[in-house]
Amino acid sequence: MINFAFMRNLIAFLRRFRIFLVFAFLQVISLLIYVQFLSFPRSQYLTTASNVTAKVLTWENDVTKHFDLSKNNWALQRENIRLRQRLPEFMYTLSTTKVKVEDTVFEQQYTYIPGEVINSSVTRRNNYFTLNIGSKQGVKRDMGVFSDKGVVGIVHNVSEHYCVVKSVLTEDINIDVIIEPIHIEGILKWDGHDARRGSIDGISNDLRIKKWSRVVTRGGSGIFPKGIPVGKVESIKPIEGESLWDVVIRYSEDYRTLQRVYVVKNLMIEEQKALEGLIPPDKEEDLLQ
Amino acid sequence: MSNLTKNIIRFIVFVILQALIFNQLEIGFGIHLMVHPLFIMLLPFEMGVISLMGLAFLMGIIIDIFSNTYGLHASSLVMMAYFRPIVFKFYGPREGYDPLKEPSVFDMGNRWFTLVFGYLLLIHHFWYFLVEIFQFNQFLFILQKTVFSIIPSFFICLLLQSFLIKKSKTK
Repeated sequence: MINFAFMRNLIAFLRRFRIFLVFAFLQVISLLIYVQFLSFPRSQYLTTASNVTAKVLTWENDVTKHFDLSKNNWALQRENIRLRQRLPEFMYTLSTTKVKVEDTVFEQQYTYIPGEVINSSVTRRNNYFTLNIGSKQGVKRDMGVFSDKGVVGIVHNVSEHYCVVKSVLTEDINIDVIIEPIHIEGILKWDGHDARRGSIDGISNDLRIKKWSRVVTRGGSGIFPKGIPVGKVESIKPIEGESLWDVVIRYSEDYRTLQRVYVVKNLMIEEQKALEGLIPPDKEEDLLQ
Repeated sequence: MSNLTKNIIRFIVFVILQALIFNQLEIGFGIHLMVHPLFIMLLPFEMGVISLMGLAFLMGIIIDIFSNTYGLHASSLVMMAYFRPIVFKFYGPREGYDPLKEPSVFDMGNRWFTLVFGYLLLIHHFWYFLVEIFQFNQFLFILQKTVFSIIPSFFICLLLQSFLIKKSKTK
């Protein structure tokens, strides 16, 4: 009998609060998906990497991509000029006693996969770009993405024909960068306010930084090659109560009109990962001492 | 056209409008235009709150898939759907709403629509930016984004109504 009364109370309770329970259930589901996908997307189906969504966005992009066509052509042409100037045929030979050497010193470490942005946003707290290349072209998670003007982001999620890139305009992008010319290391962050400006964390305030010095990638983790431009230092302010600089940089790429990008494929990443995996993890006893 | 077909077409139109047009517009100043709350607003008066929330969740998730926000739109739209009957009750006429009418600016008048839709839009936008930014030392930034986004969103919703809906045929 007690059991029966309990059941009746429970049903009455569920009846009375059913609206709120449904509400709470839906809220918990959506917030769980949100938190989980921000850090590690387990499937491609709720992102723009999924086939149906990407297809629709490709149709849309087919219309809108022509708006910036002349600007993009100009950018590609400029990049071509920059690369052509490095060709030996375009240089005037100063020394007449040149010797041709079979080169065994250099080995290719990075190859690049070209792609096109079919969907992007820059005004949210966490901004993602969708590219029209996927696992068929060899894109994998955690590969770096850059454009001719600067760094773009890291691949977050891949499907067969599309991928989603976590751009530098996200909260925890954490790309390691250096400030040239004296190689000051820091970590790239974004505070969510302005798509043209980011900041660099972890720079001790006894270092002297000149305004408008160039910021490039460090290339330590094997995601990016060394020396891909990120931006220029715009202002340096001391943080109150900490021995760090608050360094604000201006990105060299305008992410609002980004179209053509390259995905970095590091041919030696497995080797580097395997080697770094041999380092024993920090033990708790060591940290306490 | 029956009520059901009308609302299905509206659902599709609003998803397309929001996912493919308004989510792609970047205006600056932290403005983020969101017109899909208008769909939840325009659903019939007599609709139950559970089916409202179900529709809101569905619509939110579809828009989320298109804009890589993973449940953010769904959460804020469900929030708005939950508060819709409460706000409606508060501003409702004493004898209850006329089921033949629609909760649009044409049927219910400027004053009613501004108040009710304004409050619902405020709840929706505030929750959206609160969850999106989720840092309490950025509270002023959240408020700034909310206020800056609500005003243009509201006026675009007013404009959209004159394109998308007609005055209901009641005497």
